[in-house]
Amino acid sequence: MTVQNVTFEQHVAERLARGSRHDAPRVVPWVLPLILVLGLFYLYPVFDVMRLAFMRATLLANDGTYTLSTLIDTLSRPELAQILWVTFVFTGSSVVAQQLLGLVIALVVVRGEGRGLFGTTIVRTTALVAWVVPGIAGGIIWKMLFNEAPFGGLNSILRLMGAAPVQWLSDPDLVMWSVVLSNVWRGTAFSMVVMYAALKAIDPVLYEAASVDGANARQRLFYVTLPQLRAAILVNMILITIQTLNTFDAIISLTGGGPGRATEVLSLYTFNIVFRNYDLSVGAVLSILMLAISLGLALVYAVFLPKGEE
Amino acid sequence: MSAASRERLGDALSYLFMLVIFVFFAWPLLWLLSLALRTRKEVFLGVSRFIPKAPTLDNFAMILSSDKFLGYLWNALKLSSLSAIGCLLVALPAAYAFSRFRFRGKGGWMMAILSVQMISPLVIMVPLYRYMAAIGLTDSHFGVVMVYIALAVPTVTWILKGSIDGIPRSLDEAALIDGCNRWGVFLRVILPLSTPGIASAFIISVIAGWSQFLVPFLLITREALTPIGVGIFQYAGTQNDSSIQLLAAACLVSVVPAIIAFLSLQRLILGAMTAGAVKG
Amino acid sequence: MNARILMLLSAVAMTLPVAAFAQDTITGDTVGPADAPNKLVFRMTSDGPRNNDPVLAEGYSKLFNAFVANHAGWQVELQMMSGDISQEQARMLEQAKSGNAPDCAAVDSFVLPLFKKSGVLQSFSPYFKKEEIDQLFPFIRDGVTGADGQIYAWWWSTDLRVLYRNTEIIPDAPETWGDTKKAALASVEKGMEGLLFNGGRYEGTTFDWLANFWGQGGKLVDDAGKPIFGEGENREKFVKAVNYYRDLVESGAAPKRVATIGNYDDFNAAAAAGTSALFVGGNWQYSQLKTVLEPEELAKWTFSPLPGPTKDERSTGTGGWTVAAFSKDPAKVEMCANLAREIYMGPANELQEQLPTRADFYSTYKIFSSDANKAFGEALKVGQARPGAPVYPEISNQIQIMMGKVLTGAETTDAAADEAFKAATAAFSRL
Repeated sequence: MTVQNVTFEQHVAERLARGSRHDAPRVVPWVLPLILVLGLFYLYPVFDVMRLAFMRATLLANDGTYTLSTLIDTLSRPELAQILWVTFVFTGSSVVAQQLLGLVIALVVVRGEGRGLFGTTIVRTTALVAWVVPGIAGGIIWKMLFNEAPFGGLNSILRLMGAAPVQWLSDPDLVMWSVVLSNVWRGTAFSMVVMYAALKAIDPVLYEAASVDGANARQRLFYVTLPQLRAAILVNMILITIQTLNTFDAIISLTGGGPGRATEVLSLYTFNIVFRNYDLSVGAVLSILMLAISLGLALVYAVFLPKGEE
Repeated sequence: MSAASRERLGDALSYLFMLVIFVFFAWPLLWLLSLALRTRKEVFLGVSRFIPKAPTLDNFAMILSSDKFLGYLWNALKLSSLSAIGCLLVALPAAYAFSRFRFRGKGGWMMAILSVQMISPLVIMVPLYRYMAAIGLTDSHFGVVMVYIALAVPTVTWILKGSIDGIPRSLDEAALIDGCNRWGVFLRVILPLSTPGIASAFIISVIAGWSQFLVPFLLITREALTPIGVGIFQYAGTQNDSSIQLLAAACLVSVVPAIIAFLSLQRLILGAMTAGAVKG
Repeated sequence: MNARILMLLSAVAMTLPVAAFAQDTITGDTVGPADAPNKLVFRMTSDGPRNNDPVLAEGYSKLFNAFVANHAGWQVELQMMSGDISQEQARMLEQAKSGNAPDCAAVDSFVLPLFKKSGVLQSFSPYFKKEEIDQLFPFIRDGVTGADGQIYAWWWSTDLRVLYRNTEIIPDAPETWGDTKKAALASVEKGMEGLLFNGGRYEGTTFDWLANFWGQGGKLVDDAGKPIFGEGENREKFVKAVNYYRDLVESGAAPKRVATIGNYDDFNAAAAAGTSALFVGGNWQYSQLKTVLEPEELAKWTFSPLPGPTKDERSTGTGGWTVAAFSKDPAKVEMCANLAREIYMGPANELQEQLPTRADFYSTYKIFSSDANKAFGEALKVGQARPGAPVYPEISNQIQIMMGKVLTGAETTDAAADEAFKAATAAFSRL
């Protein structure tokens, strides 16, 4: 390195250091719109939810007194353990499946585009349509596919192939996987879009360098692509975990949470409490519980985020 | 194996994979189409018949000839595109600040913004409705747009921050040396280079707005202001009046604008990348 | 390229807001002259001019136009309600609490108790004659009457559950649970699926099954609205009725998939596909079957009252829709009552062939003196509405959960019934 270059870098460093001293107070104008929108249109209801958790309010009445009884009452409900377990299985398997499938589709599509293969746009668009189809329609379609009548969608295909019919929805051990399948169908496009954008943003120079070093396709994947995608994958996992925890519209039209409580996830349980039992306070406690779970998971993911910029 | 034949094997595997994925995603949609082409009589046959005996376009004709339905579509288009644009306007500067500036508690702020999204909107909705009613923003598209923005902006900020993180800092530095201030860097360097991220954030927020149900359901009662996400439910029918065939047609029609938006933005993503590659 | 996306976005950003915030003045949602000084906002179900069946839509349009013509100086703004009833009614309750409810609306008979209790409805008593009220079936009259003896809604249509069968396979109407099981098993031998009924997480699951409990004289709640179905005699009857369903599935008289059925349309589908010869359905399905089945197939189908443990212990669940007023303006309340009378009480029953709630209509309207409708009217005599207790939705939810556990064999009937009772009691103590 030449002397000239060193002074140049010092110059840049000084300039940046000066900049960042000024940055500290100047962060505010950059984030102010964000804070304003969230503060004006969302924060008050959030505080209200916190308040409701310590009351006994329903849609019908609210006596206005504060109590811990709702909190204790809700958290000691006997069904809560099962609900949380169902939520864990549903969220965990949906997130893993959507992330993997979204990544693989993005990889294949990017490769296909590079090689000029036919059909990449069709594949991407089909996945996207599944995402945009309203939840209720998704539920109706999958209900027809999983229908266990002799003429049911999947079972009639199985019968044509001479296989035994499957109890997609009435077998309590199988129903969860049917629900996860329908959720993966609907939710994968989000991960695909995020992964696709992240793949496209990888500097092509890195691949050129890898090729010069004689790396094969697998090595390029493991030593260039995946490390470069690490941050995007983790952010995507955080986002889809939150989304999946809040998902219930596909489940509600497919199984309603049944049979029994086999597919009743926390968000569906909360929905039932608020919109069928009109119980605001119990709903508020449950939504704070959901917040705690999401926050805990997000912090766990955040540990794995690259520390570079901090 | 030679490199060329390995590539050809790869192509074959890619085609196979794309076929499987296509069938997985398209098969249920074909069922939806099958339902949409049925007559009132055949719809009761449910799953027992995949290809309708007497396919009809009446359901689509009925939906498209209804002034209501086009109104719902237009409302949804307004609400979701305005909120997506608003989202970008609010989130882009913040994402830039989170990506490039050093300040105390940055990680905490990022997490706090995301945690807004972690609270189930189910429960927020009742206090939100009371709040909006109190400040007179029910039955108003402005109020709904602002709530959509608040709901989508955490995700969008995170995605945009990720994509700005991927832009080499050396480009900022070079621009700063050239005499740009921070806003100049943001407008001339960061915005153009983060086009793929902006486009995917835009797609994601348009679709999030498009599929909103609870917010417009509670905040809007006038039919003339109702977006498709709510309007479509009116085709579901009650138990005495089953009209799944209309619902299916309505769902398919409601998906079309999103496909168009996606296909046109996709060009932009690709275009931006080729431009970037030339520069790189 | 980059400049293009920015230009595109900013162009859209600049043009849209202007167009967007200029509020539309579509007049398609009002009936009557736009310059009429008085306006009634009416929120309806698909029982109105927006019905998806063009014939019904036209019929309702005529009724609404005639109504507006009859009341000079008024226009009616129509709002639509979606098919998710509980959610719709929850929203309406919340809007009523903040003073933003429609003036007049369709209220499902089964949430009427909640609405009466929360005091958001206005009395209809001044606008209906005593003779009109006296003609209502007793369970209907009880349903609309508040604690103060005033009526708070007009319940205009009702429905009930019956047992449908294909007479070619099952010639005689089963009258008892035992008959039903035998008939179902016989149909299974002929390649059918057996008895179909709602058994999923769906209000119909509870509602259709309750007839088996009510038929024995069982009671879900006491007069104070407290759940009592898990105590003493009631518990015995309750468990007995659950075991009836359980035995049907375990003996193969009903397919396992009943635990997933949460939609009456599934029965129509099975009848059309010819895979079932016996199902528990609603009276409205009779006219649906007419449109699904070929005439020679339809001729084989008939219905009979739901069976009971013995042929004298029978019942059936009844529901239906009411019209009620939220407005504090007496003139609007009166218009709402007029609308209930002139459009729904009678004319709408006739138009949609929905069972009237007044005994005299079965003879005054020709359509309701058909054999089928007379039979339905007869069955209504043992009809029972769901209890008018605020805790009912949770009881129903618990029964659905219990049914899932029992029908899939995940739990014993006794344990599942006790859990349901415990949860319902806990919910009651929170109200």
